[in-house]
Amino acid sequence: MSASARRRPDPVRIAYLAVNGAIVFFLIAPILIVGVFAVNPTPYISFPPTGFSLRWFEKFFTSPDFMNSLWLSLRVAVAVLVLSVLIGAMCALALVRGNLPGSRFLTAFFMSPLMLPAILTGLALFQLYLLSGVGRPVWGLVMGHTLVAVPYVLRTTLAVLHNFDRRVEEAAAILGASPIRVFFEVTLPLIRPGVIAGGIFAFIVSFDQFPISLFLVLPNSETLPVVLFNYMKFDLDGAIAAASMVSIVMALSVVIILEKLIGLKAYVKL
Amino acid sequence: MAEAVATTPLPRPRHVGMSPIAWLAAPALLLFVIFFVLPFGTMALFSFLSGNPVANPNVTFTLRHYERFLSDSLYFESLVATLRIGFVTTLVSLLIGYPLAHWMARMHSRVGHAMLLMAVIAPMLTGIVVRTFAWMTLLQDSGVINTTLVSLGWTDGPVRLMYNEFGTVVALVHIYVPYMVLTLTGVIGRIDERLEQAARNLGANRFRAFIEVTLPLSLPGILAGSLLVFALSISAYVTPFLMGGTDVLTLPMLIYQQVGSSFNLGFAGALGVILLAVSLLVVFAYNHVLGRFAGGEKMA
Repeated sequence: MSASARRRPDPVRIAYLAVNGAIVFFLIAPILIVGVFAVNPTPYISFPPTGFSLRWFEKFFTSPDFMNSLWLSLRVAVAVLVLSVLIGAMCALALVRGNLPGSRFLTAFFMSPLMLPAILTGLALFQLYLLSGVGRPVWGLVMGHTLVAVPYVLRTTLAVLHNFDRRVEEAAAILGASPIRVFFEVTLPLIRPGVIAGGIFAFIVSFDQFPISLFLVLPNSETLPVVLFNYMKFDLDGAIAAASMVSIVMALSVVIILEKLIGLKAYVKL
Repeated sequence: MAEAVATTPLPRPRHVGMSPIAWLAAPALLLFVIFFVLPFGTMALFSFLSGNPVANPNVTFTLRHYERFLSDSLYFESLVATLRIGFVTTLVSLLIGYPLAHWMARMHSRVGHAMLLMAVIAPMLTGIVVRTFAWMTLLQDSGVINTTLVSLGWTDGPVRLMYNEFGTVVALVHIYVPYMVLTLTGVIGRIDERLEQAARNLGANRFRAFIEVTLPLSLPGILAGSLLVFALSISAYVTPFLMGGTDVLTLPMLIYQQVGSSFNLGFAGALGVILLAVSLLVVFAYNHVLGRFAGGEKMA
């Protein structure tokens, strides 16, 4: 503490801050540059920008292809949010409170979709659906996304459960509340921030999900990231930038909501 | 493949009796069995079948997909390229992730810390397709960097920054470095700052105090973060596809090619099993590192 309180120009400190400034710039600049191209009117991506126009946003929001896929992505993401919150929060409770044998191993197992290649999860689900003859229904896509979203809900809910003071529950029980009442009036409100944060993660994970969707969507009924990817293979214009802004604005609002809700710090601790 | 996980012997704790609450894990277990264990089993099964059993009733068991992988050097080279790209991405992510994680862990201002976290997490929550698009606008021949270089007169023509491994690695680093930063900052944050202070009071300069105290203590974070970034970058599809052009062929690209254009599900399955084997090795190492250094509940 005393060293950082001494404020004199220190070359090591300046170099340290300069390096870190450059790294933050590297992280943020590519995201910001997309905003420039979204409002630049030239037909192809070109730099420096020549003016300001909303034509790409207009193209994006009036194109049936983009709109259908945006709508599908949003519907899938909402379904994934609901499913993964229910499954993930219940599972977290069971892992912390259930005295399950091998709960450490189970936790690692439930987290593993995050580390195993998502493209393989996509391939594997595609092969299972093919073998069992279910085709490529939207619910199949929803289940695939839910599988990779549950670990996020599990993680945020486990984080609040580990910081939970169980004496609050005991106090309520001693004062005569039934176990069900204790759950709804004490436990649930206390773990709610973690569950909501997990739900927000689940939504954004599904909305941005690409490798699983790639295998599971039908032609003409693709999610937004797949449509963007296919478009980018042939054409790189401002419409992609405008569409990207939707994803970026969503990510930024999520980050701000999460910070307000549980503090992003809770996310880092795990 | 996930069956291999399930048969791992469990450390048996003293049985205290399960609470009824344990049943709440049932839906998750069901989800994971049907949509995780079963599909991966199917993938492994396909890799040993001579054809698609749905379309053709006369399929037999065969090793020919694995033999094909071993017999054509193209496939082996793509495995090597995948691992090489993963390795370089991990190394660069560590080099630029460490200073940022250190800064974040030692940031005393609450607002500063929150701002930094947002700067790290916001890119992480932006879609992979979107972030790859951003790098295409920066690195292509008519992109931001080349236009600037040429207009400043520093180069005569555009420098080839993408459609090669360089561009692929740059974009992958940008995409996966937040995972490195978050893992490292957690570990560095738990190191008592006073240890470094003590080393300096005993006469070590700041650099030596860092090398001899903080760096060794953050080794578990370095290992865990590196394994995580490696696991993620060897499974990347979008970025090598769009940034690598014809110069880069990774295992995930090959896998999708087998399904998308050749419709050879058996060979796709075999390639999948090979990629999965590599990933499982990394995952086990990761869990081992975290389990050993950070305690059970910090897993994955």
